[in-house]
Parts: sequence; C-alpha cells; structure tokens
Amino acid sequence: MSLPIEVKDLSFQYEEGAAKILRHLDLSVAKGEIVGIVGLSGIGKSTLCFCLSGIIPHVYGGIMEGEVLLNGQSSRELSLPTIATTLGLVFQNPDHQLFAFNVEDELAFGPENLCVPRAEIARRIEEVLAIVGMQDYRHANPQQLSGGQRQLIAVAAVLCLQPEILIFDEAMSQIDAEGRAKLKAVMLRLKDQGKTMVMIDHDLDNLQIADRVLVLKEGRLFPYTGSLS
Amino acid sequence: MTWQLTTLDPRTKLIIVLCLSSLAVFCQNIYLLLLVLLLTLIVVKLTGGELGQLFSKFKKFIKVFLAVIVIQSIFTNEGQVLLQVMQIKLLTDVGLLRGLQTVLRFLIVIAAAVVMTTANSRDIIQGLIQWKVPYELAFMVTIAIRFLPLLQEEATDTLTALQLRGVNLKKIPILKRLRTYSYLLMPLLTSVLIKARDLSVAMEMRAFRAYPQRTSLRELHFARIDYFVIVLSMLLFQLLLWAALVLS
Repeated sequence: MSLPIEVKDLSFQYEEGAAKILRHLDLSVAKGEIVGIVGLSGIGKSTLCFCLSGIIPHVYGGIMEGEVLLNGQSSRELSLPTIATTLGLVFQNPDHQLFAFNVEDELAFGPENLCVPRAEIARRIEEVLAIVGMQDYRHANPQQLSGGQRQLIAVAAVLCLQPEILIFDEAMSQIDAEGRAKLKAVMLRLKDQGKTMVMIDHDLDNLQIADRVLVLKEGRLFPYTGSLS
Repeated sequence: MTWQLTTLDPRTKLIIVLCLSSLAVFCQNIYLLLLVLLLTLIVVKLTGGELGQLFSKFKKFIKVFLAVIVIQSIFTNEGQVLLQVMQIKLLTDVGLLRGLQTVLRFLIVIAAAVVMTTANSRDIIQGLIQWKVPYELAFMVTIAIRFLPLLQEEATDTLTALQLRGVNLKKIPILKRLRTYSYLLMPLLTSVLIKARDLSVAMEMRAFRAYPQRTSLRELHFARIDYFVIVLSMLLFQLLLWAALVLS
C-alpha cells in the first residue's frame, strides 16, 4: 500500500546556476503520523513545503528533480485542485490566506470551488468549526479575531476540503502561547482522526507533539539528535 | 407593507441606484434634478442610510462645488455677468446654473452610493454572481474591498516608521517630499506583491477555478417587496426621464 507522502531523491534549485536548496532528499510519512521538520532560517523549509504540496512545480518555477508522491501519485501529474482535496496547506501568516468577510464564507470557499452541494457545505462548516472549537465565531469577521483564532480558521478552511494530509508551514510562528496550545490540541484531535501531518518550523518547542523530528540541513533531512547545525 | 426597506435584496438596491444615477446624467432641468436629489435622500433614509453622515460628506465637498461653479462661469461665454474681477468673469447666471446642475448631479451620485453601503458587501457580490457576472470579476471586487483598508493601514504604518526615523514630511520642501514618498511606496509595493503571491497560492490550494462552475452556500431570493420596489423604481424612472425630455 502506498504511503500518504513519499519523497524520492528530491533536489531543487530556483534557477539554473543557483545553489541547490534541496539535495537528494528522501522522506516517507506513514498514515496518521506527525512528522516535525526543523531547520534554521533560510535553509529551505518553505521550499520543501512547496514541493510537498505541489506548489512547486505547478506555481513556482525552478529545476526540480526526483519525485514527490502523494498516495502513490506523482505531484507533477496531479493538478493543484486535485492535490487540494488530498493535501491541505496552512501558511505562516493567516492574513495572507483569509479573504472573506466572515468565517462562514471563508470556510465555504473551498467546497464551493469543488461544486459541493449547499447542504453538504453547511454540514462540513459545522463539523470543522467543532473540530477547531470556533463554533461561536461562525458569523464573525476574521479580521476582528486574534492571531491564534485566525490561524484556527485557516486550519478549518483547509479541513473543509477534507484532505487526508495536512502541512503546517511555520503555522505557529505568528501566534501567542495560548493560540499555539489551541492549535496543538486541534492537531492531536486530527491525528486521532487518522490525518497525516507534516509540521515545518524553526522552533523546536512547537514540534513537541510530533512523533518524530527531522532536521533540514544542507538540503537533506536527518533525524534530530539535539542539534540543528 | 412597512416603509422601512432595510432588508431589500442588494440587487434591488443596485437597480434603484442605477435608476437614480442615470436620471442624474439625463436630467438638465434644475428643478427636476432637485426632485431626483430629494427622492434619493428619501431612499437613503428608507434603506437605513445615515442622513447625518451623508450631509457631513456633502460639507467636505463645498469647496469643490464652489470651484465647479466658478470654473463653469469662467469657461461659459454666455449669460449675464454677476461677478467680475478685472477681465475675468467669475460668476455668470448661465455659469451659476450649469455649476448648480453639476453640483446636484454630484450630490445625487454621492447619496445614491450611500444606498449601496446599507447592503452587506458579500451580498452585493452574491447578487452580481446571480446576475451572471463572472465569478472571477466578482471575486476581484471582494478582494479589493477586503484588502483596501489593510493597505491603507500598512501605508500609515510605513509613514509612521519614516516619521520615527526623524522624517517630518510637513517641513520638507515639495520636491524632496516627492522623493521621500518613494521610500513609502517601495515597501508598500513589495508588501502588496508578496501578499498577492501568497493569496494566489492559498486560493489555488483551496481549489480556486477547479471547475468552470461552482456552487454557492448563499443564495439570494427576491421578496414581494423587492418586486414592488423594482416596478415602482422603473415607473418613476420612465416618468422622470419623459419629464426630462419634455423640459430639455
């Protein structure tokens, strides 16, 4: 049976002649596992995140070698909307991923794009708001919520597409301790539901809930042994 | 039927605004324009708009209105001179009349725009979509409405950062001030581009434009009052248009 995420010999450079950010990188993530990836700033964590989620090569250009397989299918061959139903990506800054006037519309955006019927969209909204514990904010304006609450809404918006895999690209870097604690609790709840997660961060404290932690250095992943360098 | 029309469908409000703004363009007669302005103010009140706020908006434009009247007088070589400074006709009766026409048109358009502010922005977009306006266009309007205040906030922050570094824009000569504005524009432009790129990726990752069609959680429905108001607006529009043609 194929794994949710399998990366084989992945190398990437943004342009010809530029240094390779990722070099012959391998990664396998099992179903229901939380894998933490830590690394210093500018080491290529976000690039890896873009490769895992198909943004590279579908949106950003560059030279990509090797394979990223999502449930056994190459990310090159899948379109981004197809990937979106398999894999959800939560970015660092919630302000750059929320654009609706209220939470309900924000959550409905993804399923509406996939032509999900209205009744099913309403059911999904109710369900994901319960998962992230934001039921009372269904009609609130996302801009009037705290940073932590906005990030929870960003997670809920992704969950509305019912992806099996979730990738968090430094999703905790712009929220306070209370918000981080809430987000971690949500992640553990999602793990119980069998979701596969990859958490990318530069702060080890944020990766306490990970089943295993890998360090990204010199373009490759190594098991964490107590040092980032 | 209640005379409070706050719950009107945004499409009905859009039709009313289109009728009023078109009348402002077609009507030449000053009394007819006054009547349209009066009608617009009544609509503002009935749809829940704040007349007080509207009048304070009008006040802000007083200087512009006076300038419009003077400009019309200067460039109109007709009519009796009411005020002349040296050889320049600052005020003529025809200029005054044309200036007033322009001012009244401005007032009608500003007041009509207030009617739209009484509708929820999301509902306006939904109304446009249900009118078969392409979703991409309607979505662009959403993004513009949503991000404009954020950009304004960011511009203010950048300006404050400049001031904290000792730059006092009010005391700088105009040419140097223009150059200083480039320091304001560059970070703002960079931030806009980054935001736009991140937003487009976030949208793609949520299946934006996955299919040519999409469903919608919301759906607007015309109520009886909407049909009544639309018919009444159209009748009044035709009547006033006919009056405008007769009186021109």
